[in-house]
Amino acid sequence: MRPENYEAQQHPPSHEYELNFGPNHPGIEGNYALKVRLHGDRVVEATADGGYLHRGFEKLMEQRLWIQNIALVPRICVPDPAPMEVAYSMAVEALCGLEVPERAQWLRVLQLELSRIAAHLFIFGGHGATTGLYSNMYWGIADRDLLLDLFEELTGGRVYSIYNLPGGVRRDIPDGFLGRVSHTLDYLESRLPDYDNLFFTNPVFITRAKGIGAMTVEQALEWGVTGPNLRATGLAFDVRRDDPYLIYDQLKFEIPTEQAGDAWARTLVRRQELLQSIYILRQVVERLPTLPGPIRVPIPNPLAWNVPAGEVYVRLESSKGELAWYVVSTGGPKPYRVHVRGPSSMHAVQVLEHLAKGARIEDIAQIMFSLDACPPEVDR
Amino acid sequence: MNTELSHWLDHLLEELHGVAISRTDSRRVRVDVAADALPALLELLEGHASYIHLSAISCVDWIEAGEFELVYHVWSYELKSLVSAHTRIPREPGLYLSVYDIYRPAAFFERDIHEMYGIYFSGSPHMTKFILTEWDGPPPMRKDFDSEAWVNAHFDWQDYHPDWLRDIEAQGGGIAVHPDEQRFSRKQNP
Repeated sequence: MRPENYEAQQHPPSHEYELNFGPNHPGIEGNYALKVRLHGDRVVEATADGGYLHRGFEKLMEQRLWIQNIALVPRICVPDPAPMEVAYSMAVEALCGLEVPERAQWLRVLQLELSRIAAHLFIFGGHGATTGLYSNMYWGIADRDLLLDLFEELTGGRVYSIYNLPGGVRRDIPDGFLGRVSHTLDYLESRLPDYDNLFFTNPVFITRAKGIGAMTVEQALEWGVTGPNLRATGLAFDVRRDDPYLIYDQLKFEIPTEQAGDAWARTLVRRQELLQSIYILRQVVERLPTLPGPIRVPIPNPLAWNVPAGEVYVRLESSKGELAWYVVSTGGPKPYRVHVRGPSSMHAVQVLEHLAKGARIEDIAQIMFSLDACPPEVDR
Repeated sequence: MNTELSHWLDHLLEELHGVAISRTDSRRVRVDVAADALPALLELLEGHASYIHLSAISCVDWIEAGEFELVYHVWSYELKSLVSAHTRIPREPGLYLSVYDIYRPAAFFERDIHEMYGIYFSGSPHMTKFILTEWDGPPPMRKDFDSEAWVNAHFDWQDYHPDWLRDIEAQGGGIAVHPDEQRFSRKQNP
């Protein structure tokens, strides 16, 4: 792809060889590469190589009005875009001291959890494909499409909803929408036994995933692992419960954990999380009709909006782990500085490099997909 | 938050020289600290106060003051609180210490800041290119880097007049914006 960057490393004479794994490879998630040193089919060392997706979001956002950035932010992570817009809106609200109406907060949770389910189905599909279970991919993508239909009806956009504004959400639910959400949730829950047979308890998958890419809770904490990957090592930590935002403190949900910390445990945690998201959404569906009130508070003229000076650090739990935004304003019409901490900036770089070491070449894809690494978040 | 531990933490921070603490809410603490005391502060927070998770390191370019602001966000799983330690270093020569030996995730953030702002963290394991592999210009996230001027200096403008656009252009519309008319221009602060 770009041979001038790949200076041949000087190794002592050995049986080792070097392999460029990616950026165009079915075992790599997105445009991302690993430079792998191999001895036979055993990985001696893996070096992550990013930058194929760098779009300079942080610089772009400094050059656009506060309101214009809303259309920019969901594009940072393609499979799970909703947390990005919610995080950005929450940051602007914190800077302005805007109180978001309760109904809007519940609508945001509705969007976030639908997005979480869609992202998990997406990664189950991709993960299945790395072990040759392609039916799982077809099913996952087809079931995710039902959620995209709901997004289209609610927001007008299938993938990038751009549903949030600082101060609330853009529009209220259409007539009969909650019934259709319930119907989709029932359908998804009824599909889980099928998924179990096809994927989660499939001997092919268990044999390929068990013991692969295992880490202990100490290692996970040392490497900055968050989200489902951390919970798969046995630590029950979830930003939604332990550092609550929106109305998550009013919702009842469990934090599923596993002990093994390997590729199989990470996938099982996601499967249980999908079920928890369904339970959360049922509570939202039940609660929303009882909540009157506006869905957003008035904001100043968005084209001449000077957000008060200040700085804020917003964290939330995306489907991949801890997502955090650091936003600085100097009281001007544009952000002074925006820093996005995507959960994959740990998982796709250091953690992947550590876990790939000593693994076999065919397990690299397994490790990367089980970490749910999202390269667009790394490159930004 | 565990109040006993939190008081103990306040007490601990008071003993450090040149540290200003402000609590923004029950789970957020802002600490302003001098650049030479920051590694010691992080070592205390990590080793004795259970702030073992480095959430992020953010860099802000305060070009008018001639300073970079580095913000270390650390989280405690036990206390359930987030400390943001702010420090400032001079913009020139842009040199600082790595905290990699305290927090492993720092390697990624320090490499990112090194690429985007040109700050060198001595002791950091990867002070090499990661995202901007083929980039040979100045660090692009600095405030004095003008992306539009860079584009104008390094790329050629091409005329684009397909048939379907001609009618629109005849009515005064079109796609391409002439360099003199660009909106997000460096001329915004004349």
